[in-house]
Order: sequence, then C-alpha cells, then structure tokens
Amino acid sequence: MASLKEEVEEKKKLIATLRNKPWRMKRRLKLLKECQAFVEEFEGALGKGKGRKLYAYKVMMAKKMIKFNRDFDNFKTACIPWERKIKEVESHFGSSVASYFIFLRWMYGLNLVLFAFMFGLVVLPEVMMGLPYGSIPRKTVPRAEQDRAMDISVLLDFGGYCKYSILFYGFYNDERTIGVLQFRLPLSYLLVGVGIFGYSLMVVIRTMARNSDEGGDGGDDGQFTFAFKMFTSWDYLIGNPETADNKYASITTSFKESIVDEQENQKDENIHLRRFLRVLANFLILCSLGGSGFLIYFVVKRSQEFANLDQDDLSWFEKNEVEFVMSLLGLVCPPLFETIAELEEYHPRIALKWQLGRIFALFLGNLYTFLFALFDEVNAKLEKEKSIRNATIWGLNEYYSNYSSYHNTTDIPPPDIHPADVIRGPCWETAVGIEFVKLTVSDIQVTYMTILIGDFLRAMIVRFLNYCWCWDLEAGFPSYGEFDISGNVLGLIFNQGMIWMGAFYAPGLVGLNVLRLLTSMYYQCWAVMSCNVPHERVFKASKSNNFYMGLLLLVLFLSLLPVVYTIMTLPPSFDCGPFSGREQMYNVVMETIENDLPAFIGNIFTYATNPGLILPAVLLMVLAIYYLNATSKNYQNANLELKKKMQMARDEEKNRRNNKENTNQVMQDLEDLLPNRSLLPPAAAEEKPPPVREKGSKSPKVAKRPGAAANGKGINIQKDVSLAAPNPKAAVTHPPGPRGPSGNARGPPPGPARGRGRGTPPSRR
Amino acid sequence: MGSRASTLLREEEIEEIKKETGFSHSQITRLYSRFTSLDKGENGTLSREDFQRIPELAINPLGDRIINAFFPEGEDQVNFRGFMRTLAHFRPIEDNEKNKDPIASEPLNSRSNKLLFAFRLYDLDRDDKISRDELLQVLRMMVGVNISDEQLGSIADRTIQEADQNGDNSISFNEFIKVGNVYILYIDIDIDI
Repeated sequence: MASLKEEVEEKKKLIATLRNKPWRMKRRLKLLKECQAFVEEFEGALGKGKGRKLYAYKVMMAKKMIKFNRDFDNFKTACIPWERKIKEVESHFGSSVASYFIFLRWMYGLNLVLFAFMFGLVVLPEVMMGLPYGSIPRKTVPRAEQDRAMDISVLLDFGGYCKYSILFYGFYNDERTIGVLQFRLPLSYLLVGVGIFGYSLMVVIRTMARNSDEGGDGGDDGQFTFAFKMFTSWDYLIGNPETADNKYASITTSFKESIVDEQENQKDENIHLRRFLRVLANFLILCSLGGSGFLIYFVVKRSQEFANLDQDDLSWFEKNEVEFVMSLLGLVCPPLFETIAELEEYHPRIALKWQLGRIFALFLGNLYTFLFALFDEVNAKLEKEKSIRNATIWGLNEYYSNYSSYHNTTDIPPPDIHPADVIRGPCWETAVGIEFVKLTVSDIQVTYMTILIGDFLRAMIVRFLNYCWCWDLEAGFPSYGEFDISGNVLGLIFNQGMIWMGAFYAPGLVGLNVLRLLTSMYYQCWAVMSCNVPHERVFKASKSNNFYMGLLLLVLFLSLLPVVYTIMTLPPSFDCGPFSGREQMYNVVMETIENDLPAFIGNIFTYATNPGLILPAVLLMVLAIYYLNATSKNYQNANLELKKKMQMARDEEKNRRNNKENTNQVMQDLEDLLPNRSLLPPAAAEEKPPPVREKGSKSPKVAKRPGAAANGKGINIQKDVSLAAPNPKAAVTHPPGPRGPSGNARGPPPGPARGRGRGTPPSRR
Repeated sequence: MGSRASTLLREEEIEEIKKETGFSHSQITRLYSRFTSLDKGENGTLSREDFQRIPELAINPLGDRIINAFFPEGEDQVNFRGFMRTLAHFRPIEDNEKNKDPIASEPLNSRSNKLLFAFRLYDLDRDDKISRDELLQVLRMMVGVNISDEQLGSIADRTIQEADQNGDNSISFNEFIKVGNVYILYIDIDIDI
C-alpha cells in the first residue's frame, strides 16, 4: 500500500518535471501517457482522485467474486456423489480397486444423461400427448392374452401388460405429429436412438483425451519417490478421526504399492526363460480360447437343429444347452487364464490388462451367440409377419367391398372392431427389446447372487466356522475373497454394450440400467468393505483409466453395428412402433425433410449425399488424422528430450558439486586444461551410475551407494596424491598455443603462474 | 470476545509483532482471539495440553513434535510472542516483500525457514542431520504395525539413498532443501498428490 503511494507520487512528480527533461518529444509523449494512465488507475485505490468510489466498488466486487467462485467450486466438489465412500475403499484396498468404483460412477453419469434424453424426448411426449392405453390395437393387450396378462410369471417374463407399455418399442404410435405442440414423435425416436450413440462416443473420446493428459502408465519413477512419500504424505488439514484412520490406511497402502513397484524393478532377469514361458502361456490360452469358440459354435448349431424339432421332445438340458455352456465357460475360463498367467510373471498392473483382454475375447464369443440367436428369431418373425400382413390387407379389402355392396355408399367408416380383437403381427422389434431386457435382468440377478454367495456367505463361513474347524480357514483354503477387478470391469462394460444395443428397441431399458448402477454402487461398496480383503500385492492403478475406456469404445462400436444395420436394412413391422407402414426406418427423416423443412434444404441434402462430395470429404478427414497424429508424435518426442535434458542437468550439477568438494586445485587446473576431462571419469564414474535411472540397475545401485560412500573419499584422496606427482611435466607438455610464451619460463615451476588466478594449490608440496 | 482481546493487546506490541513476523494488524488480532480461546487457564500462556485440544493436531502422527516446536528449549509454557513467532513460519510468501529491504535478515516465512521448521520436526536430536533411526521412528508413527520391520528398514534406507548426496548415510539440511525444491515442481505436474 505504501509502496503504491510512493509510486503514484513519483509518477506525478515525473509528469510535472517532464518538460524540463532533455529528451525527444516522442519519448516524452510516451512517458506522459504511461504516467497519466498509471496515476488514473491507482489514484482511486489511494482514496483520492475522481475514480475513488468506482474503484472501491470495483475492488469490493472483485473480492466478492473471488469468494463466490471459491464457494461455488467447493459446492461443486461437495456435489460429486459417493466421494467419501470411494476414498474409504481406496485407502483400504488401494487405487486399483477404487478405479473400478470411479469407473462405475462415471458410467452412472453417462447413463443418467442417456436416460434424460430417452425419457424427455420420447417417453414423456408419448405419455402426455399420445393416445392412452387401449385406444388403438398396438397399445392394447390382445384378447387371447388378456386373461393371463396380470399373472406374475407372465409379467416377470415381460409379457402381458409389460409388453404393451412404454417400456417397449411396440407401444409408440406412428402419427407424424402428436398433440398441441405438433411434436414429431417418429423423428424424435430415430434421432434419439442415433443420438445416444453419438453422445456416448463423444463422451468416451473426450474422457480418453482428458485422461491421456495426465501422463502414461502408473509407476513413473520420479526422482524422490520414497522421500516424497515419507515427508509429504500426511494431509495436515484433516480434523476428523475417521478420515485420519483412512489416511493412515492409505499411507500404508501407498508404501506397499511402492514396495511392489520396487520389487518388480529389481527382479532377476533371465530373459530367455521368461520369453519362453510367456510364449508357452500365450499358446495355451489361445488354445483354450479356440476350444471355447468351437464349443460355442457347435452348441449354437445344435440349438438351431433343436428349434426345428418338436419342443416337447427335448429335455430341459437340451432346451437350455446354449445358456448352460456359456455360463460354464464364464465360470471356468477366467480362473484358468489366471493360473496360466502366473507363468508369465508380469507386473500386477500389466497382468491385469492381459487378463482383461483375454476375458474380453471370451465374452465376445458370448456376444456372437446371442446376436446369432436373436437374428434367427428376427428373420422368423419377419416371415410370419408377411403372411399376417397379407391376411390383414385381404380382410380389410373384403370388409370394404362387402360394406359398399351392402350399404351402397362410397363413404365407408373404418371397421368397428375392438382394439383387442384386431389381428396383430408379431412385432419383432418388441421381441428383440424383450430379449435384451430379460438378459439385463438375469445379468443383474447373477451378479448380485454371486456377491451374496461367493463373498458374503463365504466370509460368514470362514469367520464363524473357524472356531470349530481343523485347519485355519482364514489363512488356508477358502479364506476371504479378494475383489475381482477384471471380472467386474468387464461385466460393467458388456452390460453397457447390451444397453446400447437394446435402447433402441426398449426405451425403458436405460431407466432400468440407471437403477441397476445406483444399487450396484451401494451394494458393492458395502460388500467390498465388509467381505473382502485387500490383494496380497497391492498395486497402483495406472493414472489414466484409458484402458477401460478403450475397451468401452470397442464395445460401443460393436453395439453400434447391429442397430445401424437394422435402421438401414430391415423393414419395420407394419402395425407397431413409430415407423410402422414405412419401407425403411430412416424414411422418416426423408419425409420430414420433404414436408416440414423449406425446399432449398432438401436440395442441400441431395447435393450433400452425392458420392462425388462424400469421397473427397472422407479423404480430407483421413489426411487430417494423419497430420495430427504426426504432430502429436513430434510433441511427445520433444517432451521426452526435454525430460532427458533436465535429468542430465541435474546429474551434471550433482557431479560438479560432488567433485568440487573432493578435488583440490590441481584437479581443477587439470580439468580446465584437458578438453575431454580424461582424468576425471574414474571419479565421476562412481557418481554417474547411481543417478542414472534405469529400471534394471536399481539393485546394483543399492549395493553401490554405500560402497561409494565408504570408498569415495578414500579414492579421491588417492587420486589427488597420484595426480599431484606427475603434474609439473604433464601440465607443461600438453596445451599448444597458450603455453607457448610461458614455455620459456619452464625453469621455475609454472604453478604460480597459473595458480595466480586461483590461489595456491595446496597439495603440490 | 473480540473487544476483550484487543484491549488486552497493546498497540506497541502489535507493531512489534508485525515487524518481527510480517502479519497484518487484523491477522494479529484474529490470532490473539484464537490464542485466548485456547488458553483455558487464562494466564496468558499456553501449555502442551492446550494444544492437544486442537483436533487436527491430536490426530496428526507428528502432532507431538509440532507442538514441541512451539515451546522453546526446556520450557513448558509459551506466551503470545512465542506463539506468533512459530506461526510466522506458516505465513504465505508474498511477492512484493522481496523488494522491501534487501539488507534486513531473512523473514521468518521464507522458503528455507519453512523447510528448516519441517526439518526440525524430523531431526529430534538437533544435530542437523536426519539419521536412519530418526526416519524409522517417523515411519513407525505413520504406518503402525502394518508393515514388517525389515520392510520399514528398507524404506528408510531407500529414502536416505535417494536424498543423500555426500554419502554420510543421513539427510542434511541442504539435501532436505533439494528434495523440497523438486517437490514444488512435482506438485504442479502430479495431479494425484
């Protein structure tokens, strides 16, 4: 404050005396402007001058704004759901287990947005502005099914009233506009269906990009990892005892993680044996994957044959063979892969990734069978639909001709049949939707049951039977379960894939998933904290969740394909859903462009879909991708170079300081004379290998350092002594030019001549 | 409470404290009211039990050592001046102070004084070196019995090996400063911390 006053005074004085200064006009004018601006700006701050009130007001508003921003940021952070729960899990189980829960929370957010889209733009308009239940055939339970429509068993199978409700595709009407607002439901349905994929794609890629910013794989070796952990890990702002307990656990876990990282770096490297074992392991796993793939194919083929036989002849096993085989594979293969993977001896983080990849390949087999079966069903229904459609059209024509011949008019009212009695086609989209919903529900049930039995029951048995059992259950065979990260993550990813595929045919599915994720979060957090123990070797998750995101992206593309194929190729049912009566589903968009938008937009679209325009656009995008890729690689390289330079600079300084402490003047003189420092390396070599950060050399470093410490002083002293002796001769003979003139003074030792600049070299005597 | 506090603290005292520690007037009066609220015995000094009542210090593994740092050698009571002198280490560094007075001695809240404060927390015997045993004590406090002794020993060895530069198997103050300086770089980059 006082300094500001002084400066303002100074500037004012300068303005007053500017005329007297012997400067050019230009310079004076410039300085004058500067000073005047300065005085005007800050005089208000000092409570003088014109802008005083305004300035004080501005300062107060600025302070209030800062406080408001800070409070808002605090509020936003407090709004992040489940943060405390996840921190608790993290401090007890490590960051890899917590990364699963963070992923789960992210999924919940994504699904919430998708639900908002679906609900707000499709379900709500139909419910509020569309025709109510029972008014038209597609919204009514057919007469034949009505007496069983309320049975629990039928409802649980999603038949009956469930089937003809907003949950499924068939309920939606195909009127072009509905209600007072002229809401275009079919268009909205199609756009939301495609928009779900677009939004998910955008969010996944944005998250991947943001994560890749935070550095690569976890376990970067910094310069002072253990020192930082020791001196800086406590959070001094903690005041709550429970939080303090969590922090203790988290510090312990963090030390354990670093120990694991260190152990991995110090392992003995017998490269050939390890490579051989890894190749062997991969071969075995490929064999088992191939075997399971063949088994699935065989079983699906057989189920197709069974479908042609009479259903009553088949036993329960034969009817459910496909599901049985798939569950068996899902239970047996992951532990098998894990056992084989022990041959490979990877770092736990990398082993987790391999495990995820392999189970992913296995689950793709599941997906293949499911889609195959579904596709068969769809084709069958399409066939049936053709015949019913023909029958309906024939019936309608008959009715019209009879009516006109009977009553002799051309103004024929529509047939007066109760909606429940109308002949209905098999709505294949609703059938597909029902399949997806059933699959999701059974998936939820299996997961929850597995946790209840596999974790909770097991923990109860181990805890309470331990009192009366021969061997120690807790340390020995069953013991407490560990949290299965890979299984859970893959389950989550595949579940989301199902949702993406099914959302188009069953709008209620997204809501169901939101509920499922919500309960999953609480249920699994509880199960982990009460029934599981931390892993034997706690390892730090990689800083970015990009691996999970990558898998999710892959699944997103895989689930996009069937839906897009359906929209483009398969004909919609003729009597249910918002696209009924049209040739293809996307015709809705064409109709909208023709009827609702002005003419020239139609022209624009026609031009835009011209192949001559699309191909160059695709080419341009490919080139842009290539260019951006090349640029990013260059940046990465530059980054690495800078890091290396920084590391080298640090090492240089360390060496120079160490050498300064240990060498004498003689050494320094020599250092300057000899351009390549050939006399120094022995001393520097002691220091250089330790600071160089190679992963493999950490154990020699551990051994060398105390050794160097012990011998360092000794060796350097020896060097001093040994180098001091031949010094006079060496110094004189080496350097050419500069030594020339003083070569005449060779008689008296050249020491003082050089030593003048640096003081007397001590140990020369 | 506030008015009672300011009448007990005289203007000259506030000025002296301001010069010594660099706190502003309002900060000093606020800290004085905190001092009096901690001082249950109302005798103008704080004892160790008064500090133990602060929850953040009670649950801190290094809490006892921090409390010790407030008390000068061998004494059991600290008055307001001593309290402020120790607290001055925690004041944030401001840029415009650098221009003030180049001849005056280094302010109490300079970076190296802060690091010296932290260093003294670990160096119990005040020999200006953090030895392996002192590190082991700190580790034991932070981690409890969850990690085996020999692993703790290796952690201590590794820490010394990382930070030690002159090979005396202990961390001197200069080496400690080096660690602190690198840490400042890392907390910008390493979002995890």
